[in-house]
Amino acid sequence: MLALDLLVNGLIFGLFYALMAVGLAMIFGVLKVVNFAHGEFYMVGAYTYVLLALKLDISPWAALPLAAVAGAGLGWLVERTLMRPLYSGYASWSLMKDEYAVVVTFGLSLLLINVVDKVVGPYPFRGPALIETSRFSLGPVMLNGQKLIAAGLSLALLVGLALFIKRSLWGRQIQAVAQNRLGASLAGIDATRTTSLIFAISGLLAALSGALLAPLINPAPDVGAFPAVKSYVIVVLGGMGSIWGAMAAALLLGVLEAFFAVYVSYDYRDAFGLLILILVLLFRPQGLMGEKGREV
Amino acid sequence: MTGAANLWANRLRTDFRAALAVVVLLALLPAVVTSPYSLGILIVSIYFAMLALGWNLLAGFTGQFSLAPAAFAMLGAYTTALLDYHLKAPLAIGIPAAVIGTALLGLLLGRVVLRLKGPYLALTTLSFAEIARVVVGNSYEFTRGDQGLNVPTLFESRVGYYYLFLAVLLAMLAGLYRLLRGRAGRFWLAIRDDETGAESRGIDVVRYKALAFALSCAICGLAGSLYGTFSQLVSPELGLLMQTGLVISMVVIGGIGTLTGPLVGALLVYLASEWMRGFGNIQMIVFAAVVIVFARFFRTGLWGLATRPRREAAAGGAAGVKP
Repeated sequence: MLALDLLVNGLIFGLFYALMAVGLAMIFGVLKVVNFAHGEFYMVGAYTYVLLALKLDISPWAALPLAAVAGAGLGWLVERTLMRPLYSGYASWSLMKDEYAVVVTFGLSLLLINVVDKVVGPYPFRGPALIETSRFSLGPVMLNGQKLIAAGLSLALLVGLALFIKRSLWGRQIQAVAQNRLGASLAGIDATRTTSLIFAISGLLAALSGALLAPLINPAPDVGAFPAVKSYVIVVLGGMGSIWGAMAAALLLGVLEAFFAVYVSYDYRDAFGLLILILVLLFRPQGLMGEKGREV
Repeated sequence: MTGAANLWANRLRTDFRAALAVVVLLALLPAVVTSPYSLGILIVSIYFAMLALGWNLLAGFTGQFSLAPAAFAMLGAYTTALLDYHLKAPLAIGIPAAVIGTALLGLLLGRVVLRLKGPYLALTTLSFAEIARVVVGNSYEFTRGDQGLNVPTLFESRVGYYYLFLAVLLAMLAGLYRLLRGRAGRFWLAIRDDETGAESRGIDVVRYKALAFALSCAICGLAGSLYGTFSQLVSPELGLLMQTGLVISMVVIGGIGTLTGPLVGALLVYLASEWMRGFGNIQMIVFAAVVIVFARFFRTGLWGLATRPRREAAAGGAAGVKP
C-alpha cells in the first residue's frame, strides 16, 4: 500500500506546488520573463502569517487573508517600480529585456531575503497551524489536519482562479494581454493595469501558499528557494506561460518526486526536479502542453 | 574598417588601459597595506574580479546570461581538492586539471544550451549550478559532503599569494583583450547584438558561443582552484547561488560588457562588504538595492557613468552603437 500512500501525498504536494507555480506561469505568459524573486513572494507570505499569529496574537484564520494581501501588495509594487521598462522602450537598452528581468528579479530576491534576515533574524519560526490535530491515518495514508486543510484550500483557490480567468471580464483581459499585448491595447484593454493585476494575483497566490505551508515548513529567510525551484520546474514542464499546463505539471511533479525519493534516492531528491527542468528545456522547450515558444 | 568598428576598437583600447591602470595600482598596494588580514581581503576581492571577468565574457560580450559562475568556481576548486584527496596529486597537476576540467565541462554545457536564450538559458544554467552543488554536497563518501576538503597551500606568504592572484588576473585581462580585439571579439559582439544576423553573415555561431562558454568556465574554474589553495578549504558553499548573485552585482555595478567595469565592481563591492561588516550584516541588502537601482536607472554601470561625457563627444552621433 506504499504506492497509494505515495500517490496521495504526491498529489497533495502537487496541489501546493500548483498554488506556488501558477502565478509564475501567469507572469511568464504576459511578460515572457521569469520572476527570479517568486520564491520571496512565498517567503513574505509565510512570514506575514507567522509573525501576525505569533507576535500580534492574531487568529491564524485572520492572518491567512492578511498574508495574501501582503503578497498581492508586494506583487503590485514590484510591477509598478521594476517591471515597467520591460514594455516601455526597452529596445534601446544595452541590458536587453531578458537580461534586465533576470538582474532585477535576482537582485530583488537577494534584497528580500537579506532584509528579512536582518529584520526578523535568520532563525526559523514555527508557525501556528490552522487546526491542531495529530497525525491520523486515512486507510493506508498518513495525514495531518493542517496538510488536509492546506490541500483543500489550495484546491479551492485553484478552481477559483480557473473560473476567474475563464469567466470574469478581468480574467478575459488577462488572456487577451497574454496572447497579444498590442492587439489587446488596440481593443481598448489597459494592458499596463492588467499587468499590475497579474503581478498582484501572482504575489497573492505565492504568499498564500507560503502561509498555508508555514506550519509544515518553519519559515526561515531562505525558505523561498525551494518553492521557487519547484515553480521553475513546473512552469517549464507545463509549457512556459500556460496556467493549465502549470496546474497539471505541478500534480505530475508532486507524484514523480514522491516516488523518486522513495524508490531512487532521498539524498538527490532536490536535484531530480532540476534534472527534469534541464531535460525539458533541451528537448521540449515548449513544455508538455505549451505551444512552441523557444525563440523569445 | 567601418566607423562603428573603429569606435569599438578605440573604446576597447581605452577600457583595457584603464583596467591595466587598476592592476598597476593594485600591484603597488602591498607597499602600504601590510597586514595579513587586509591582504587576505584583497586576495579574495581579486578572486571575485576573476569570476566577474569570466561571467562578463559570457553575459556582457556574448549575450549568454549564465547563472553558473559560482558553480564553476566550486567545480574547479573541487577538481584540485579531489585530485589531492584521492590521488595525492601535486598542485602542479591539480590546478591545470581544474582549468582543463572546467573548460571541457563548460564546452559541453555550452554546446548543450546553445539554442537557449534569455530566461530559458538562465533557468538551465541555474539548474545545472544547483544540481552540481547538491551532488557535491550529498556525495559524502567521495567529497566528504558539507564538511569540505582540505587543500594544500602553494606558499606561506600572503604577499606571494597576492601577486600570484594579481598576475593571473593580469594574464586573464590581457588574453581577453587580445581575443576581443581580434576576430573572436567581433564575432562575439555580433552574436550578442543580433544572432540571426550574425549567422546569416556566415559567422560560425555554434563555435564562437561554445568557445565563450568554455573560456568563461575555465576562468571561473581557475579562480576557484586558486581560491581553494589560498583558503585551504573547499566546500559546496563556494557554489551557492548567493555567490553568483554577488558576481552579477559586481559586474552590473561596475559596468557590463567592459573590461574595467567587472574589475572595479568586484573590488568596490567586496571591499565595501568587508567595511560594512562592522555595521552588522547589511552588505547584501545594500548591494542588492544598488544593483536594482543600477539596472533600472544606470544600466551602463560605473564605467559607463565615468566615460559617458567623453564618449558622447567622441561618438558624434554614431547611431546604432550600443553603449
